Amino acid sequence: MKSLTSLFSASGFMPHGHCYLWNGPLVWTMVSSDFLIGLAYASISICLYLLVRRIKLPFSGMFLAFGLFIAACGLTHFMEIYTLWIPAYWVSAFVKIVTAVASVMTAIWLFPLMKRIMRLACEVKVSDERRVMLEDLTSKLRAKTVSLEAVNQELEAFCHSVSHDLRAPLRSMMGFSNSVLDDFGDKLEPQARADINRVINAAKKMGDLVDGLLNLSKLTRGDILNVPVNLSQLVSGIATDLQATAPQRQVSFVIEDDLIVRGDPHLLQAALVNLLTNAWKFTGKTENARIEFGKKDEDKAFVYFVKDNGVGFDMQFSNKLFGTFQRLHPEREFPGTGIGLATVQRIIKRHGGEVWAHARVSEGATFYFTI
Amino acid sequence: MRENKILLIEDNSDDEELTLRALKKGQFSATVDVVRDGAEALDYLFCRGTYAKRNSKDLPRFAFLDLKLPKIDGLEVLKQIRANPATIYLPVVVFTSSQESRDINAAYSYGANSYIVKPVDTTQFTDAIKQVGQYWLTFNEKL
Repeated sequence: MKSLTSLFSASGFMPHGHCYLWNGPLVWTMVSSDFLIGLAYASISICLYLLVRRIKLPFSGMFLAFGLFIAACGLTHFMEIYTLWIPAYWVSAFVKIVTAVASVMTAIWLFPLMKRIMRLACEVKVSDERRVMLEDLTSKLRAKTVSLEAVNQELEAFCHSVSHDLRAPLRSMMGFSNSVLDDFGDKLEPQARADINRVINAAKKMGDLVDGLLNLSKLTRGDILNVPVNLSQLVSGIATDLQATAPQRQVSFVIEDDLIVRGDPHLLQAALVNLLTNAWKFTGKTENARIEFGKKDEDKAFVYFVKDNGVGFDMQFSNKLFGTFQRLHPEREFPGTGIGLATVQRIIKRHGGEVWAHARVSEGATFYFTI
Repeated sequence: MRENKILLIEDNSDDEELTLRALKKGQFSATVDVVRDGAEALDYLFCRGTYAKRNSKDLPRFAFLDLKLPKIDGLEVLKQIRANPATIYLPVVVFTSSQESRDINAAYSYGANSYIVKPVDTTQFTDAIKQVGQYWLTFNEKL
């Protein structure tokens, strides 16, 4: 067994420099080239090692083998320099064997990995395409948001001008019609007086419609809050107010306690006022009027309801119920603009819910909503 | 005793007529001067232009101010009234169709004494004017 030190000894071989006849320029070219190659390989293999450690590349085993192979290659070149003067050819051969093993291993390891590498490259391409598509969608969404904000602003300006411009002529119509009645009423025929009263009432009605429309649009502009709202408390408050408007009416309110939802308190108040005012109004002719507010469990969702035992409506017209200005009862029996339920629907929809109703003529109506 | 004067700053001739009739119904012992745009309102109050000969000490007891005025906007008129030491304490009652909160906020922030939305209903309109007139002419102490 040759000892390590004897491996390094000359052992009768000639230094490699003899092959170059110790030609100065030739020797130094070989030396400098081998040195640079060796240095480069060393640096590359160190980089690969650091990369694998830091980034956790896929196929890190293969990269490490590759790194080892490069390091070994570098070492062979340093050995070339060494054997120029010291003919330790057995050491050189040993290093070459190591290099050979590393290269062959890398090559063998690489073949089966080709498929995986190609698939990975494909996935990267797909993911890049998706990113581009996502960016495109995002910019389209941004553009849409900007245009929607512009529409909202136009709507605000429109409401602002309606606020001013529609009311003034109505005021004139009512004002001067009343003036005619006040100043010349006694000189007019009863028919004339009646006709002028119709003008006045029409102007009043239009004023209510304008107010209703403005409120409807005001309620659905702007940001919607998302906070806990105690519906039971709201309903109790509204019930008290309604009772105060007509203390002589006997209406029993049955309100389920502690029904709390998430939403905008201002909007939900408006929706409940509309629903309860309707219930109050349409039980106006009912003895023992009863208005209930509560919650039903139905298929995982909570459904809230306002129920009354008033005059009800015919279900065959129920699709018109929530239309703007739609009415199912004559004005003279039950006054109103027909905009209350449209308002309720818009509010509930803004909260992501649905509203619907069931009723029987003369037996009352129940309005359901989800939030 | 100096006669009580009310200044009506209003561009709409129908509203002007209805306001004057309502004031007459209130039977106030006051004359009403009417100006029909923002520039004329400031000329009147600062005694310049066509109103250069007006006595600057002869200020109205209060003014009705509409917001939508030609030439100079109602809010701008209000701003200038409050900026001028001669008129800084003049009671200004904003009397307008607009119920928009941004108008209400702006009016108060520029120093309006009160903000009244012109009712469409005639009875309410007349009542509002009579009450405003009575308050500023009878109850409120003159400066």
